[in-house]
Amino acid sequence: METALLLLVGLAQALLLLLVAPLLSGMSRVLRAKFQSRRGPPLLQDYRDLGKLLARGEVIPAEAGAVFRIMPYVLLVAMLLVAMAIPALTTRSPVSATGDLIAIIYLFALGRFFYALSGVDSGSMFAGIGAGRETTLAVLNEPVMLLSLFVVALLAGSTNLGVMSASIFAGQTPAFAATAMAMVAFAFATFLEMGKLPLDLAEAEQELQEGPLTEYSGRALALAKWGLYLKQAVAAALFLGIFVPVGAAATLAPLPLALAAVVLALKLVVVFLAIAFVENTMARIRFLSSSRLIFVAAGAAMLALAFSLAGV
Amino acid sequence: MGPLLLASVLFYVAGGVASLLLWRSEAWAIRVGSLAAVVAGALGALAVIPVLTTGHAYLFSTAGPFPFAAFNIRIDPLAALMVLVISLVTIAAGLFSLSYLKGYLGRGAAAIGFFMNLFIASMVMVAIVDNAFYFILFWEGMTIASYFLVVCERDDAAVDAGFIYFFIAHAFSMLVMVAFLLLFMETGSLEFAAFRAPAPPTWLASIIFLLALFGFGAKAGMMPLHTWLPRAHPAAPSNASALMSGVMIKLGVYGIIRVGVDFLGASTAWWGWMVLAFGAVSAVLGAFYALSEQDIKRLLAYSSVENVGIILMGAGAGMVGIATRQPVLATVGLLAALYHLLNHAAFKGLLFLGAGALLDGLSTRDMAQMGGLGRRMPWTALCFLIGALGISAFPPLNGFIGEWFTYQSFFIAGHGADFAGRLLGPIAAAMLAITGALALACFFGAWGMIFGGAPRSERAEQARETPAPMLVGMGLLAVSCVILGLGAPLIAPLMSDVVAALAKSGSLQVASGMLVFAGDPHQAVVSPPLIAVLMLGLLTLPLLIAAVYRGRRPASRITAEPWTSGYQHTARMTVSSGGLAEPLRVMFRSVYWLHGREEPRRAGAAAVANLTAFATRVEPLWDTASTRLATQVVRGTGRSLQTLESGNLRTYCFYIFLALAVLLLAVAW
Repeated sequence: METALLLLVGLAQALLLLLVAPLLSGMSRVLRAKFQSRRGPPLLQDYRDLGKLLARGEVIPAEAGAVFRIMPYVLLVAMLLVAMAIPALTTRSPVSATGDLIAIIYLFALGRFFYALSGVDSGSMFAGIGAGRETTLAVLNEPVMLLSLFVVALLAGSTNLGVMSASIFAGQTPAFAATAMAMVAFAFATFLEMGKLPLDLAEAEQELQEGPLTEYSGRALALAKWGLYLKQAVAAALFLGIFVPVGAAATLAPLPLALAAVVLALKLVVVFLAIAFVENTMARIRFLSSSRLIFVAAGAAMLALAFSLAGV
Repeated sequence: MGPLLLASVLFYVAGGVASLLLWRSEAWAIRVGSLAAVVAGALGALAVIPVLTTGHAYLFSTAGPFPFAAFNIRIDPLAALMVLVISLVTIAAGLFSLSYLKGYLGRGAAAIGFFMNLFIASMVMVAIVDNAFYFILFWEGMTIASYFLVVCERDDAAVDAGFIYFFIAHAFSMLVMVAFLLLFMETGSLEFAAFRAPAPPTWLASIIFLLALFGFGAKAGMMPLHTWLPRAHPAAPSNASALMSGVMIKLGVYGIIRVGVDFLGASTAWWGWMVLAFGAVSAVLGAFYALSEQDIKRLLAYSSVENVGIILMGAGAGMVGIATRQPVLATVGLLAALYHLLNHAAFKGLLFLGAGALLDGLSTRDMAQMGGLGRRMPWTALCFLIGALGISAFPPLNGFIGEWFTYQSFFIAGHGADFAGRLLGPIAAAMLAITGALALACFFGAWGMIFGGAPRSERAEQARETPAPMLVGMGLLAVSCVILGLGAPLIAPLMSDVVAALAKSGSLQVASGMLVFAGDPHQAVVSPPLIAVLMLGLLTLPLLIAAVYRGRRPASRITAEPWTSGYQHTARMTVSSGGLAEPLRVMFRSVYWLHGREEPRRAGAAAVANLTAFATRVEPLWDTASTRLATQVVRGTGRSLQTLESGNLRTYCFYIFLALAVLLLAVAW
C-alpha cells in the first residue's frame, strides 16, 4: 500500500517537474533579457514555443537513422525516471528501486548517450561537434558527481538518495565540513549538467547552432527541447533534494505534500535566479580550457573526502 | 554432469579433427567444425548448470599415464561458471562462424575450425582440471591453439602480433610454473587439493601470489602486461577474437582468483589492494586508449583491458574483505567480479562478432571508412547498440548490475573500520566513474562512426545486411545481455553461492523478490526489472505528448542533406572519430604522452635489431650470386618483353595482324 502510494507521489513529482520545466526555462529567458536591458519574451513563451513546434511537420536529413528518431523519447523517459526517483517532495526516494545514486548517475548518462549519438546520427557536423563536447564534459563531470555524492552516502551509511536526504534533513551528518565541501562540488557538477553559460558548450547556440539539436524540427524538436528543460529542472531538484531538503514532506499526507510542492517550486525558482545571475555575468569559457575549471570541482570533491576521513 | 562435460570436450576435439580431415571440401569443414562447437557448447552448458544451482562440486579422478600426476577433474561452482561463460560465447561464435568462415575459403578455413575447437576444448579443461601438471599442459595447449588463430592471416602484422603474443604468453606462463613449483615444494604434491590444504608461511605465500598475479595477469591483459592484447586479438578471425577477448582473458582472472583466494585464502590485505590498484590502472588507461582508436577491433581489445580492470577491481575488494575479515565485503566484491566477468563475456563476444560482421561486409576495420551503416545493416546496428549500451553500464542492462555491485563493494570498504578501505574505497569508486564515462564516450564514438550519419566510403555506401547465421549468433548474445540484466534478482543469488563456495564463507542474501541489494537492503537496493517496467510505462507520456495535434500536423519530410550554413554539403562535412576524441586527447595529454613515448623507443630497438641482424648474417656467397644472376635474367627478360605492351590499341591490332600473317604463312607452307 505504502509502496503504491509512494509510486503515485513519484509520478506526481515527475509530472510536476515536467510541467514546471518550461516555466523555469522561460524565466531564464526573461531574466537574461532583463540583464541585457531588453524587454524579453513573456514568461510563458516556452510553452507557446513547444505548442507551436508540436503542431508542425518534421524535416529529417536523408541519412539520419533510427537513433535520431528515438532520441527525444529516450531522453524524456530517462529524465522522467530520474524525476520519479529523487527525493524532492518527500525526504524518501519515491521509487527506491532506482533511487540509488549510482542508478541515477547512469540514468543521466543514458540520456546523454542518446542525446550525443543523435547528433552524430543526424549527419550534421555542427551536431557532431556538439555531441563530442557533450561526451567530453561527461567524462570530466561524472567522477565529480559520483565522488561528491559518494562522500555524502558514506556519511549517511547508504547510497539511497532518500536516506542521504533524510540524514541531512535531520541534521545528523557527522561531518559538517565534508558535507559542505561535497555540496560545493556537487553544485558545480549540477551546474555543468544543466548546460548553462559559461559552460554552455555542447549546445553553444552562437557557435554550434544548438549542437545535437541542429537538425531537429517540429514535433521531435519540441520533445527534445522539453527533455532538455526537464533535465535542467531535474538536475536542480536532485541537488535541492539531497543538500537542501527543507520543506520536504516527512509523511505521505496530502497537506504536507501540497506544501512540499509549493516549497519545491520556490526553491527551484531561487536556484534558477542564482544561475541566471551567474550565466549572464560571464562569457562562455573556451572549450579546451573547461577541464581546468572542472579539475577545481574535482579537487573540492577530493577535499570533501579528506574532511570526511578526518571526521570534520 | 561429468559424463556430459566429457562428451562436450570430446565433441570439440572430434569436431576439430573432422574439420581438419575435411580440408579438401572446406565448405563442409566449416559446417562440421562450427556445428560441433555449437553442440559441444550446449552440452557443456547443460553439464555445469546443475553444479551452479545445487552448489555441489563434481569430482572425478583417474590415474592417468604419468605416475607423478593423477588426472583429476573437479567441477566446483567457480569452474562451472567458467565453463558456462566459455559455452555461451562458443555457441554464439559457432553459429556466427557458419557463415563468417566462408570468407576464409581457400585461406585455411578447415585449419581455423581445427584450432578453434582445440582452443575451446583446452579452455574448458583448464577450468576443470585439478592438478598443476595437467593445468599447465592445457594452459599451453590453449596458448598454442590461439597462437595459430592469431597468425592465420599470414600477413606481416599478424605474424608480428603472433610473435609478441607467443613470447609474452610463454614468458609469463613461466611465472605460473614457478608459482606451482613453489607450492609443490611446500606440499610435496601436484594436486590442487594439496595446494588448498596448508597455508605456507606468509613471505612464501606472498611470493607465490605475486608470481601468479603477474603470470596470470599477463594472460588477462592487465596493465602494463597488456601490450600483446591489442595486437593479437584484432589479428585473429573475429569468431576467435570473440573467444579470446570474451573468454580466454577471463581464464587469467580465474587463475588469479584460484591461486589468490582458493589456494592461499587471500590471507594478506595488501594482495587485494594490489589487485585493485592494477585493476584500476588497467580500467582507466584501457578506456583512454580505447577512446583514441580508429580500428574497431583494436578499440574492442583495449576495451577488454578496461573491463578486465573492472573485474580485477571487484576481485581486489573481495580479497581485501577476506583478509580483513569483512565477509560482506568479501562476498560483494567477488560477486561483482564474477558477475562482470560473465557480463563482459556476453557483450564483448557480441561486439567482436559485430566487428566481424562489419569486416565481412566491408573488408575493413577502419571506422573512418564506415558510417551510415545503421540504415544499411539495421539488425547488426541493433545488436551492436545493445552491446554498446551493455558495456557502457546503462540500467537496466547487464553491465550496470556488474558495475553496481562493484561500486557497492567500494562503498562497503569505505564504510568499514579499516582506514585503508575508508580512503581507497571512494577513490576506487571515482576511478570507476571515470572509466564508465570514458566507456560511454568510446562506444558513443564507435556506434556513431560506424552506424550513424552518412557513409564515408564507397564500401559503406554499398554495404548490405549481415547474413542470417551471423545475426543469430549475435542475437543470442544480445538476448543474453538483456537477460543477465533483467534477471539479476535470480542470477545474483547464484553468484553469491559461487562466491560462498570459493571463499568458504556463509552465503549472503543479495536478492529478494524483484530487488537486488549488496547484503544489506538498507544500504542500497536496485531493481532492473522494475526499472525496465517503469521505463516502458513512462514511454507513454512522450507518446501522448507527440500525439497532440496529430490530425492537423503536416507529414514529415525527408531532406537531401544536413544543413551546413547555406554551403553545398559534401561528404567530408562530417565529424571523424579522431575529432570526437580530440578534446579528451588534449585535456589528458599526459595519459597519451605515456603511450606515445613508448613508440620511438620501440622503433629504435627494431632498427638496432635489424642492423645487428644484417651485420651478423652469414653470407652464402655462391647462393647469393647464383640467385642474383637468375633473378636478373628473369627480370631483364620480363622488362624487355614489357616494351611490347605499349597500351596503344593500334599496336595491338598490328600484333594480331602479324600473328595472323605468320599463322597463314605457316599453314600455307
